[in-house]
Amino acid sequence: MTPTTSAVPILELRGITKSYGTVTACDAVDLRVDAGEIHGLLGENGAGKSSLMKVLLGLVRRDTGTVLVRGESVALDSPQEAAELGIGMVHQHFSLINGLTVWENVALGDTGKVNKQAICSDIAEVCARYGLPIDPEAQVGSLSAGERQRVEVVKCLRRDPQILILDEPTSVLTQAESQELFGVLGRVVQEEGRAVILISHKLAEIAQATDRVTVLRKGRVAFRAATAETTPQLLAQQMVGRDVSLGEEGAALGLLPVQKARTGQAGDRDRQQPVLRLAGLTVEQGGVRVLEDVDLTVGAGEIVALYGVEGNGQATLGEILAGLLPPTAGTVEVAGSTVDVTRPGALAKAGLGIVPEDRHHSGVVLDMSVAENLTMKSLDKVSGRFLLRRGVMRAEARRLADEFNIVTSSLDAPVRSLSGGNQQRVVLARELSGDTRVLVAAQPTHGLDVGAIEDMYSRLRKAAAEGVGVLLISTEFEEVMALATWIAVISSGRITGVLPVSEATSERLGMLVGGEAA
Amino acid sequence: MSVLDSTTTILASGVRLTVPLAFAACGEYLAERAGAMNISVEAMMLGAAFTSVATASATGSATVGLVAGVLTGLVLGFVHGNLSHRAQINTFVVGLVLNSLVLGLTSYLITTDQFASHQVGVLSIPLLQDIPLIGKPLFSERWPAYLLILLVPLTWWLVERSRWGLELRAVGENPQAADVTGIKVNARRRQALLWCGALAGLGGAYLAVGEVGSFNQNMTAGRGYIVIAAVIFGAWRLGRTLLGCLVFGLSDAMRLALPALGVTLNAQLLVAAPYLLALLAMLLFTTQHREPAALGRPFQRGST
Repeated sequence: MTPTTSAVPILELRGITKSYGTVTACDAVDLRVDAGEIHGLLGENGAGKSSLMKVLLGLVRRDTGTVLVRGESVALDSPQEAAELGIGMVHQHFSLINGLTVWENVALGDTGKVNKQAICSDIAEVCARYGLPIDPEAQVGSLSAGERQRVEVVKCLRRDPQILILDEPTSVLTQAESQELFGVLGRVVQEEGRAVILISHKLAEIAQATDRVTVLRKGRVAFRAATAETTPQLLAQQMVGRDVSLGEEGAALGLLPVQKARTGQAGDRDRQQPVLRLAGLTVEQGGVRVLEDVDLTVGAGEIVALYGVEGNGQATLGEILAGLLPPTAGTVEVAGSTVDVTRPGALAKAGLGIVPEDRHHSGVVLDMSVAENLTMKSLDKVSGRFLLRRGVMRAEARRLADEFNIVTSSLDAPVRSLSGGNQQRVVLARELSGDTRVLVAAQPTHGLDVGAIEDMYSRLRKAAAEGVGVLLISTEFEEVMALATWIAVISSGRITGVLPVSEATSERLGMLVGGEAA
Repeated sequence: MSVLDSTTTILASGVRLTVPLAFAACGEYLAERAGAMNISVEAMMLGAAFTSVATASATGSATVGLVAGVLTGLVLGFVHGNLSHRAQINTFVVGLVLNSLVLGLTSYLITTDQFASHQVGVLSIPLLQDIPLIGKPLFSERWPAYLLILLVPLTWWLVERSRWGLELRAVGENPQAADVTGIKVNARRRQALLWCGALAGLGGAYLAVGEVGSFNQNMTAGRGYIVIAAVIFGAWRLGRTLLGCLVFGLSDAMRLALPALGVTLNAQLLVAAPYLLALLAMLLFTTQHREPAALGRPFQRGST
C-alpha cells in the first residue's frame, strides 16, 4: 500500500468476494481510498470493476468481505443506504430516463414532496459552481451524449456525495468534454476534499487523471501504486497479465504513442473501385435528425474507418446497413447497384456482410448451435426445397470453423457456450462466407480480450487484402489508426471530414469529432 | 321527436356509456404510464359489475354494491400485480387467464340465484340541467358519475406532480435506471395496478348498479379492451384518453339510437361498430413514440 497521511481512509474494502453462479466476479478484493484523491480502478472488460462498484452502491450484495466507510463497518443492502453514506455514482448507462426532463431526472431518488423550484435552483447552483451549463426544463432524450453526461454529474453532485464513482465516464465524450470533466473532478477532490473512484480501461486517462491506481485482473487485485511511480507500460502489463508490446496490443489497450503502421503505403491517396457507396443518408427519429446527409464511399480492398464518439449516429448507420432501419432519405449502393434496404435480406444478397455492434442482439442466436449460426445466411446452400440437409450444413460449418479458428466443444454446442471472441468469429465467418464484397464491422472489438482483438485485426486486414471493402465503425482512436486506410469522422450525425490515415493526427481527428472542420 | 330532442337523447346516452369507460381509463392510463400493460381491466370491470349487483341485492344498498365493486377491482389488481410483477409470469397471459376466469365465473354465478335490482340515485344539478342540449346529458346523472370531477384531476396530479407519479413514469420509461436510482420497480407497478383495479372496479360497478341496475352475462362485452384502445388512442395522455372514451361512448349511443331514428342496419353489424371504430381510431391516431418505453416489459434485477 502506498503511504498516505490520513489515518482513517474514507473508504476501505476488505476481502470483497462476489460470485454469480460459478463465475467469481470479485475474489477477495481489497481497496483503500482516501479523501482528496482520485483513485483509478483499472482492468480489462470482465476484470470485476463493475461488480465491485455494484457492491459499493448496494445494487448487489457481496458474498463475503467488509466495507468500511470512515472506519465504520456498513451493510450496504440497498442503493438508498449507499446514498445516505455519501456514495454517489455517475453512471454511464441505464441511469437517465429519456422521457423525463432534466429536473425530473435529478429529482428521482429523492424523498418527500416534489418541489420543482427547489430542485431547479439546486441544479442552477451546482451548474454555476462547476461551470456546467444545463437547461433543467430540457427533455433528456433530446440532449447530446456530452450534455447527458453533465446531467449525470450534476445529479450526482447535488446529493453532495463524499465518495464519487465514475464508470468509464469518457467513452461517450469528445476530448474537450473529457477535459471539462477532469477539470470538475480536480476541483471536487482538491477544493472540496471528496474522494473519486475513476473506473477505466484507458491507460492514458488513468495516467493523466489519477493520484493512485489499483489494477484488477480476473477478479483479483493484481497491482496497486501511486500513479506517478508507474508507467503506462507497467500498468498495461499488470492489467493483461503478460508483457505487452507497444504495437498492435498497445494500440488496443490505448497505449500511446500509436504505431503508425502504414505511412507511405501504395495507393494511400488513390481511391479504389467503390464497392459500397452511401449517398445522402438521412434518418429522422421523433423530429430529431440522427443522421444527416451522410455520403461515404468504401473502395475494394480499403478499410475505411468511421470514427467518432459514441452516440453521434454510428449506431443508426449500423442499423441501416444491417437492414434493421430504413433511412428517411438517401441510397445505399453495393457493388454498383442500388439496394432496396427496406426488403429484408436485400443487403446480404447484394454482398454486404455485417458484424453488428451488439452481437447478442443481432449478430448470433445464442441458443442455436454453432453450425446453425454459421450457415444461417446461406440456407439455400444447406437445404433442399423443404428439408435441411444436415450433412451439408455440418460440412460447411466445419470448413468455416476451421478457417476461422473457432474454438468450440462441438458444432452442435449453443453459441451461448462460446467465449466472446469465438462468438465474434462465428459472426465474422458467416458474414465473410459466400460472395461478400463489403464487410461492415461495427465496434468489432468491444468486449473482447487482447488476444481476440489481435485476431480480429488480422482478419479484417486479410479480408481487405482479398479485395473486400471494409467499413470499420469504431470509437477507438488507436484502433482506427492501426487499421484504416481512410478515416471518416462523424459528429452529430454528419460526416465532418474524410482523410487518409497518413494525414490523420489526434489533433485533427479531435477537431473533426468536436464538429469543427480541421 | 325534434332534432334537438333526439340529439340530446343520443348525447345523454353517450355520456352515460362513457362514464364507466372513463373511470377505468383513468386507472389503465396510470398503470400503463408505469409500464404495466394491464389487459385484465376487462376482468376487473366485469367482476366488479357482478359483485356490485350481488352485494346490492344482499344488502339492499346500491352504494354498498359500488364499494364492493371497487374492492373486487382492488383484489384483481392485487392478484394481477403479484402474478405479473412478483412471480414474473407473462403479463398478457395473466390478463387473458383472469379475463376468461372472471367471464366464466360470473356467467355461472348469475344462474345460481335471483338478484334484486338496485340502482344508485340520479343527482340533477338545479339550473345547469336546464341548459339546452348539454344540460340533461351532463348535469342529470347517477351520482357516482360526478366522482369523475374529482378522480380525473387526481389521477393527473398523481402522475404528473407527485413523487409517486414521477417514480411511476421513470419505471415505465426505463426500469433499469429507476432501479439504479433506488426505486422499487415491481412494487411501483403493483401499486399502479391497485389504482387501476380500484378505478376499473368503480367503472364496472357503475355500469351495473349505476346505469343498468342488474347484471347479465358478459355485460361489459369487451369494454375493458375499449379502455385499452382509448389509452392508445390518447397517446398516453389523460385528456386525449378521456376524449377517446367519449368517442367510443358516443358511437355506442349512436348504435342504440339508430333503430329509433328509423335507420335500419344489420343489428350484429351495429354491435361491432364501436370496436371497428376503436381499431380505426388506433390506426389513424397512434403516435408510437409517446408510448412508455418499457410498456409491457417485465423487470428483473440483474437482467438488462
